[in-house]
Amino acid sequence: MKKSLIVVLVLLMAFSASVFAQGAGEADKGYDIYVYNSKGENAAQFAAMCAAYEAETGIRVKNFSIGSGQDHMETLRSEMNSRQMPSIFSIQSLKELPEWKQGGFVLDLNTVTSGDFAKMVAAIPQGLRLSSDGKTSYGIPYNVEGYGFIVDRDMLSELFGPSKVDAVLLDIKAATYEEWETLVKTIDAWITSPKATSVKLNGKSYTLASSKGKLSKNLNGVFAVMGAEKWTYGDHFINVALNAVLTSETEAQQADDAKVKSLKGALLAYAKALDLKTSYLAGLKGRAVRGQDFVSSSNFGYDQAVQIFADSKAVFFKQGNWAFGNIAGVNPAQAERLEFVPVKMPFQSQDIKRTDGTTVAKLNSSIPVFVPNYYAVNAMVPKAEQQKAFDFLYWMNNSDTGKKYIVEEFAFIPYNADPETTTVPNSLGNSIIDYMASGNTLSAPYNGAPASWSGDVVGLRIMESYLTKRNWTASDYEAIANYAIDQWLAMK
Amino acid sequence: MNFYKKWFWPLVIPSLLLFTMVILYPFIMGVVNSFLAWRGTYYFDPDTGTRATSMFKSFVGFANYKEAFQDTRFISALVYTVKYTFIAVIFVNVAALALALMVTKITKSSGIYRTIFFLPNMLGGLALGFIWQFIFQIIFTDILFSPEALYLPFLRYMTQDSTKALFALAMLNTWQYAGYMMIIYVAGLNNISADYYEAASIDGASYWYSFRKITIPMLMPSFTIVFFMTLANSFKLLDQNVALTDGEFGTRLLAMQILRTVKDTAPPNYGKAQAQAVIFFILVAGITLTQVAITKRKEVEM
Repeated sequence: MKKSLIVVLVLLMAFSASVFAQGAGEADKGYDIYVYNSKGENAAQFAAMCAAYEAETGIRVKNFSIGSGQDHMETLRSEMNSRQMPSIFSIQSLKELPEWKQGGFVLDLNTVTSGDFAKMVAAIPQGLRLSSDGKTSYGIPYNVEGYGFIVDRDMLSELFGPSKVDAVLLDIKAATYEEWETLVKTIDAWITSPKATSVKLNGKSYTLASSKGKLSKNLNGVFAVMGAEKWTYGDHFINVALNAVLTSETEAQQADDAKVKSLKGALLAYAKALDLKTSYLAGLKGRAVRGQDFVSSSNFGYDQAVQIFADSKAVFFKQGNWAFGNIAGVNPAQAERLEFVPVKMPFQSQDIKRTDGTTVAKLNSSIPVFVPNYYAVNAMVPKAEQQKAFDFLYWMNNSDTGKKYIVEEFAFIPYNADPETTTVPNSLGNSIIDYMASGNTLSAPYNGAPASWSGDVVGLRIMESYLTKRNWTASDYEAIANYAIDQWLAMK
Repeated sequence: MNFYKKWFWPLVIPSLLLFTMVILYPFIMGVVNSFLAWRGTYYFDPDTGTRATSMFKSFVGFANYKEAFQDTRFISALVYTVKYTFIAVIFVNVAALALALMVTKITKSSGIYRTIFFLPNMLGGLALGFIWQFIFQIIFTDILFSPEALYLPFLRYMTQDSTKALFALAMLNTWQYAGYMMIIYVAGLNNISADYYEAASIDGASYWYSFRKITIPMLMPSFTIVFFMTLANSFKLLDQNVALTDGEFGTRLLAMQILRTVKDTAPPNYGKAQAQAVIFFILVAGITLTQVAITKRKEVEM
């Protein structure tokens, strides 16, 4: 017994020694830089871009993309624990920054003072920087994304007449919440019994068609909603309300108790807007109502909601430009005709606590445009490798080849795009560029809220207790707003 | 015999090495990490508020354990797991024993039935979870037990209520494990000599009487194994939980709670997750060892 114990211990030590002794000698790693890409969707194109860089410069690039839908944090952590750490890794938002900052993995790019790369870092718009205090800058944006209510131009054409599409789109974008609410209710009534009713949008009068058309005959509700996906109403929908008070992720992260409490009015508006959105639901097999079916993933999951919208069963679908591929997969013709209209909420002027002059009208005609992912440079790799990483990132965002890959192959909207001259090969991307050109954009303060607050806490509560309930009352709005604030304060 | 004596170490070392590498070493590191402020990729130094220069600077004593017990999510997951285990052990055992009695009784094509009952076990937990999600959400809710058909409200929306979900998980788990446990019971039943039953029937014992007095006592060794496996499996259930409900509606089991702890905290508190894992280990080991000791005592020799 004793003997075997000794053997086990010796083996254990030998094993640990072999683990820790690895990499004692600095041998050639087999690459010059190692780029970790946490977007599985463009894995093949990303590898092609790295190969193109290698062909142009002779720098050997090892690239790794996670599988689509794989948990990127677990994978990244194990790569960071290995001897051959990525020289460029990814940080998805301010929520993920503390870990890499505390661990000493992430380099503050503002400490780079010379060269083209430093100029590129300095030129990142303030609102798009990955920074916990406004002074630092920890990453180069992958791209920008945006979301709002997706609408099919041909559907609007059938509802309001072919000559009115552009005008009606402009006026829906500019409409007040009250006009929007009336529009939703009018369309809902029109679906059950079509008649030429008129609605006011941005003060102008529009008349609905007197009968249904090829697409609109499929309508059974106004909105296609993913009741089972907490992040759609937790993270993204609530983010619009947060914008009434908070201008950036950084501001959200630094918000004190008083500021969090001042979200009350905006969150009440959020609850009311969510009530409207989930009261006029389209379903796979006909009009749907809020209730237990609405949160089951077999009926109202991601794919099901895409299907509802792509089958023209709903007029509006709150999603981002990332859903382009999903919609195109079901209905490629429709995917070419899509536009965003803003998510509107019944804000009162006293709900707006930000001091940059943003008005209710401006909030209700803007869509959130934000950076979903950043390239960060690893502070742990040798200086020479860091320099090569800078060169790679500069090339990627500024050379013709790099830009071609970003726009044409990844179908990304470059963060440094000039909205006047850039077009991307998909309708939703171009719609976002239009909003960027007019300056009607909001940021993503929900990423600065405590980890898991918006989706897994507030979103979960809404799913469990409210989306399963047919009718909401004023006290429900109150309860939602209070719960959100209390949880934020408790989790801080 | 001499062969094994002579070649004992060469034969044992490969598996010992593997065991050390993939079980023992991670286990010991896990216990060590539960006393440290481990963050997954680095050790945190609570004194300086930055990355610790060495592992020892990151020592936090029992703080991770204290935090775990103060976490309401951990406690509710613990209670939920105990409830689930209680239900699942009963469900699986009753089903497995019933199936075993059935396939040992029938003489024709019992092999086919054995195979069919065993088949669900070949599927992975995640796949099973998604299959049953469809069954509960569409087949149960919209088709079988909807108000238009056999209206049974308890069997509708089973994934949306923490109590109903206990039974949903137990049903899923029974479907998966009953066939496997059945095989063990079948082996046990086949070991009982027909002489006992013959003698009992000559003495005029009814079926139930001989079941109680012969089958159950003689089957005790099988009970020991099956109870041990179902208890441990139910406690450790993870994939099915993730796929079926993802912990929504208060349905987080312990294993999932440990997995999600690093997502609930930023920077990820791997130390606390590890402390929960150690508590979990002690609990499972304690309960299953007690159970084995009790059922072993009931085993009879004839």
